[in-house]
Parts: sequence; C-alpha cells; structure tokens
Amino acid sequence: MTAATMITAPGSRTSSIVFLATLLLGPIIAVNGLAFIMPVLNLLMLSFRESLGGGGLGDAYTLDNWSSTLVDGFYIELIVQSILTSLMITILTLVASYPIALYLHRAQGRWRTILLVLVISPLLTSAVVRTYGWIAILADDGLINNTLKALGADAMRLLFNKVGVVIGLTEILMPYMILALLAGFGRLDPRVEEAAETLGASPWKVFWRIIVPLTMPGVALGCLLSFVLAVSSFITPKLLGGGRVFLLATEIYDQAIVTLNWPLAATLSMIILVIFGAALVLYSRLLRAVL
Amino acid sequence: MQPGFLSIRSLTKRYETMVAVDDLNLEIAKGELVAFLGPSGCGKSTSLRMIAGLAPATSGTISIGGKDVTQLAPYRRDIGLVFQSYALFPHMSVLKNVMFGLEMRKVPAAEAERRAREAIAMVQLEGREDRRPAQLSGGQQQRVALARALVIQPSILLFDEPLSNLDAKLRDEMRSEIRSIQKRLGITSIFVTHDQVEALSMCDKVAVLNGGRLEQLGTPNDLYERPATAFVASFVGRTNRLSGVAEGDCISVGGKALRAPGASKGKVELMVRPHRMVMTAAGETMPDFGSEPINSIDGEIRDVYYAGDILHYEIDAGGQVMSVERTTSGGETPVSPGSAVNLTWRVADTLVFGAAQ
Ligand SMILES: Nc1ncnc2c1ncn2[C@@H]1O[C@H](COP(=O)(O)OP(=O)(O)O)[C@@H](O)[C@H]1O
Ligand SMILES: [Mg+2]
Repeated sequence: MTAATMITAPGSRTSSIVFLATLLLGPIIAVNGLAFIMPVLNLLMLSFRESLGGGGLGDAYTLDNWSSTLVDGFYIELIVQSILTSLMITILTLVASYPIALYLHRAQGRWRTILLVLVISPLLTSAVVRTYGWIAILADDGLINNTLKALGADAMRLLFNKVGVVIGLTEILMPYMILALLAGFGRLDPRVEEAAETLGASPWKVFWRIIVPLTMPGVALGCLLSFVLAVSSFITPKLLGGGRVFLLATEIYDQAIVTLNWPLAATLSMIILVIFGAALVLYSRLLRAVL
Repeated sequence: MQPGFLSIRSLTKRYETMVAVDDLNLEIAKGELVAFLGPSGCGKSTSLRMIAGLAPATSGTISIGGKDVTQLAPYRRDIGLVFQSYALFPHMSVLKNVMFGLEMRKVPAAEAERRAREAIAMVQLEGREDRRPAQLSGGQQQRVALARALVIQPSILLFDEPLSNLDAKLRDEMRSEIRSIQKRLGITSIFVTHDQVEALSMCDKVAVLNGGRLEQLGTPNDLYERPATAFVASFVGRTNRLSGVAEGDCISVGGKALRAPGASKGKVELMVRPHRMVMTAAGETMPDFGSEPINSIDGEIRDVYYAGDILHYEIDAGGQVMSVERTTSGGETPVSPGSAVNLTWRVADTLVFGAAQ
C-alpha cells in the first residue's frame, strides 16, 4: 500500500498521518540512530572506563577521566586554546570570505557560474593535499620566505606554529564559509540598498546599516559551520603545526591512535561535543535576534 | 524653454545593446506633479534612476534648483524615491524605517523620532510604529515607504510605479492620498506609471515616453485633445484609426473624401476619439452639428457589447474597424449586427498624423 492511499483511506485520519510521518522520517531516524546516537553513547560509556595502558580497558566504571581532565591545567589550557584558535580562524575565514560571497551574490550569468566553480573547486582536492600545498608555500625556504629573502627582508617563521595552522585552516574553510554565506544572503535586495542610498546613506553606511544586518543569517550559519569544522579538524593542524600546536582534535587523535588511551580520547571527544552544543545554542540565539 | 526647478537636458542612457533613454529634455516647475507615462520598457525607470543618481547618465545634464547634480552620488542628491517593491528595510521597525533618512542627515534622535511619528501619522499608520514591514499589508508597506521618503523633505520626490502591486480599490485610495499630500507639502514630484488613468487623473502634467524618447509633455487635457504624435493619440485614451492619402486638407480614405484641420500630404493616419463619433442607423435622425464642417463614413455593425450603462459597437467601415459607444437610456433594443450605419464627427475632432509607423 502506498503512502498516498494511506492518507485517503477511510478510518482514522490522524493515525494515517502518523504512519506517513513515521514512514518518511524512518530512514533518517535509523541512520542517525545507528551512525550517530549509538556511537556517541558508546563514546560516553567509554569515557567512564578505566584505561589500563597499551589500549587495555578496565572493567570498572570510573569518573577519573573526567575529573583529571577537568582539573588538569594542560587540558583546560588545551580546551581554551582550541576554542580561541577556532574562533580566530572562524573570524579570519569570515573576513576573507564575506567580500567574495557578496561579489558572487551579485555576479550574474556565466561569470557567476565560473566563479562558483572556482570557489567550490578546492573541495575537490583533499584537505591533506591542500595542506601540503601550504607547507610548500609557508616553509622556511617556501614561496613566501624566498620572496621575502629576495626582497632583502627577514624570513618569517610561518610553519610548524600557530600562524601556519591558522593560515591553512582559514583557506581550507573558506569554500564552506562562502557557500553558507551565499545560502544566507537571500534577504539582500539591491532595491533596499538603493532606497538607503537615496535616503542619504553613504556606501559605508549602506554596508553597515543594511547589508551587514541583512546578511546576518548567512554570517551566523557560516561561522557555526567554520567553527565546528575548525574545532574538529586534525590533519591540517597536525601537519602545519608540526606537533608543536596542541589542539583538542589533535590531542584526541594522539590519545586514540598513538597512546591508545581510548577512555581519555572519548572524554575529550565528549567535551568537543559539548562545545558544539554551546555553539549551536549561540547560533540559534543569534538567528532569533537578527530575524 | 524656461528653466524649471528640475531641469533635464539631452539626458541619454545607452546600454551595450540599446539606447534606453534618448536625448530627454524636460523642465519641471517647483511643486508640480509630473507623470512619466509610457509602455513597459520605454525608459521610465531608467530616467527616474538617472535623476536619483542610481544609474549614471551616458550624457546630458540634470540640475535641481539651478545646481548641476549629474555627477553627484545618490546620497548627496536629496531625493526621495518610492519603489514599486516598497524596498523597506526588513530588519527595522516602521519607526526605524522612517527615521533612517533623518538619522543619515544627523537630525538629533528626539527630533527625528518626532518628525518620523508625524510622517507616520500623515500616512495614517499610527499605532503600527513598532511593527516590522513583514507584518504589514502591501498597502501599508507602501505607506511606510511614502512616509520614509516624505520625512526627509526631499527637494524632489520620485515614484516608480508605486501602486502597481496593490489591488484596484487600494490603488484609487492611495492615488488621491499621494496627490493630496504632494499638494499640501508642495513637493516637486515625478510619478512613473504605465497606467494612463493614473497619469491623467493625478498629475499636473504628463510626459509620454516611447522607445526612450519623449513624445509629448503636456497637461492631461493637452494630451487628449491635442496629441503631438500618433503614438500619444493612440496611447492616451482610445482612438479610431483610418489610413488614407492626404492632399491639402482633403484626405481620401478608401475612395471617400474626408476633411481634416490643417494641410498635409502623402500617406496619413486619421484618428478620432470614439465618443466624438456619432453613429446613426437607418431610420434614425442625423444629429445636428449646426454649421460646423463634418466628416461622415458608412459602415456595418460587426458586434455589439453590452456594458450596463453603455452599448459598445464595433463597426466595419470599409475594412477599418471603428468602435463607438452609446449610452443606453433603458428599454431600447441595440442596433443589431449586420445593420448599415453612418458615422459622423466634426472635422475639428479629426487628428491627422503622418503615417510613419
Ligand atoms: N541594466 C540594464 N542593462 C541593459 N538594459 C537595460 C538595463 N536596465 C534597463 N534596460 C533596458 O532599458 C529599457 C528601458 O528600461 P526601463 O527604464 O526599466 O523601462 P520602463 O521602466 O519604462 O518599463 C528596457 O528595454 C530595458 O530592457
Ligand atoms: Mg519600470
């Protein structure tokens, strides 16, 4: 029996709607349950297990992972640094992407298509490849430093420190930011900007009083996406940080793959999840405020 | 031509493929409400946008109150613009929308608010100051747009088809409201429309545009009674057309000789307003035009439409279709299709144009 006949079938209308809803939502509920909720619950359980070293797990449940993580200065610093670095990357990504998105939003016809392809094309190569590209550019004898040296200036340390991580992640996140911004630019209307102009607003005023407020939904979405991706990315920080930049995601990777302390990795993962939750709450608050 | 408050000289706008506005010359006096009337795509909006500074002119000059503003950015021009799409700021309340222009002019907040509330009252939206535009109906939104443009007391107020998105009843209401506010404040205004009723009923003068060119600028009565071109005659009000060949003031139409005021030569088009033509069926008495010279042609009724107080006849006069109206006095039977009739009108009511098109 098809869904359509269910709706028109005589009998309880409500129950058939409930059935249809279940039918339509079923797949996503199943996927989410199996691929997201279950693993997260698994991680949560794991974070209360004892680590025996070398990847072994104790049978007893304990609060040790949580208590040691939340009082250990190293981990608190790690959490704070991860959040701050991700925020910084998010803001830089926004600043770099906003003009591009605005231009793209206004471009028309073939030109717009070409630009859009150019914006998306980095996503066609893996972040690893792009990160190696950045290493070639930022290294001590890379493009930038060689240019600086050729100009007689002092070389700068751009790799294996936070500067490199921030530069690399900013570029890697830009396509996501631009797409999110474009998706949220629907309320922009050239007529509205023109109305502001005729009312005496200089281009500067039009930008801050009209364009920025109207694009806030896009900005909020782009920032949420960038922040989440920045906090959770580990390949780029690992390669560009050269093991000297410590962030939550790289630490989780180290604990899970190198040290084999799965309970600690699970605890840190749960902390990231809490950070995401907070970002999501902030996002919905912001969205409600601007709409 | 005497320089007006708004003076437009040789204004031209060229896009890559076409000329949107072609050598427009126009003088508008202070306090006048002038309509830009023309079919869609004739360059009305483009002209308005050049006056507002939103589209740069290819050549020509615009001056307001004797000051050349052609190169001035829109925000330095002191012009109010009301858009067809309202173009309100969706993220601001009605009050903030109306205050925006005052804020940009650095009017102190308290005074700005007082003036904004006054303007809101003028468009009868008291009590809705805190609403967002999305919470208002189309008509109310256009009132906000009007208040927002009025409150800055611009030297010129421009309207770009502001009533096109409203329903007929609201449109009538807004028309008279805009007109009375404009008169009261004495703001020099241009009202763009493709609706001739709107242009003729509201405005002091009407500029008829066609294909980027100004066909005629005149009072509604001028346009109707003394159209300068065949386009104006056919665009403003309804007309019956007859093609013929002129020789002096005598015009031969399908073998029949008609007369027209003034002399012309070669192929011409005659135009007569439908209500100036009198239809006489067989057995009816010819109306008396006194000593005035008249034209007369024969035809046959093709169709009759009943429209309440008037009967609308379509008449085939030697292959050219004329329409004529008769007011009904009740109880009479319409002249039936197929009947032979005679159409008569004054020579003075005959308009002659060279058959260019
Ligand atoms: N930005 C533009 N680029 C190219 N052609 C345009 C542009 N804007 C308007 N036009 C053309 O100029 C002509 C006049 O347009 P417009 O002034 O909007 O007409 P109206 O307002 O009288 O309907 C139209 O044929 C239109 O296609
Ligand atoms: Mg237009």
